[in-house]
Amino acid sequence: MTNTPQPIDNRFYEMLERLQAVDFVLVELNLYLDTHPNDMQAINQYNEQAEQRWAIAHEFEALYGPLTNFGHSYSGYPWQWNQVPWPWQV
Amino acid sequence: MYSQTRVYFPYVSPFDPCPPIRVKTFQVNPQLFIGFQPENLPQFSPMEALRHGVLWPALYSPYAGRGDQEGLEG
Repeated sequence: MTNTPQPIDNRFYEMLERLQAVDFVLVELNLYLDTHPNDMQAINQYNEQAEQRWAIAHEFEALYGPLTNFGHSYSGYPWQWNQVPWPWQV
Repeated sequence: MYSQTRVYFPYVSPFDPCPPIRVKTFQVNPQLFIGFQPENLPQFSPMEALRHGVLWPALYSPYAGRGDQEGLEG
């Protein structure tokens, strides 16, 4: 996702998998909280996981470029959003 | 933990045009027995949850195919 196609090391996949795991936990907690709005412990866990999710994502984007566009991620110079590899190529 | 697969035996008529299917299986998932999910159930770690496809082991429901398609999978 940087301008010169950087060789993808296993750290790339490792961080992506960690991000994917945290995202999945957030999805589960979100659906759970839709029907359990008063579960304080789950809400705290959700907020912790959300914070952790952004930490992982920002760490990843600092190394490999933006994960999302339209203002949801920063980009380096030159513009990194439309650089290879795309998510389906990874 | 008992298996979540149950079987039933469809009626086979002597006039069935096709070879009969004598055993059919169906899944009995945990959520059928839990009803409204209680709070503070034990959870998987994020990585495990990703692998199992659910955050709470109590709701985990493995699916190993219908069992009638040996050699047809893939």
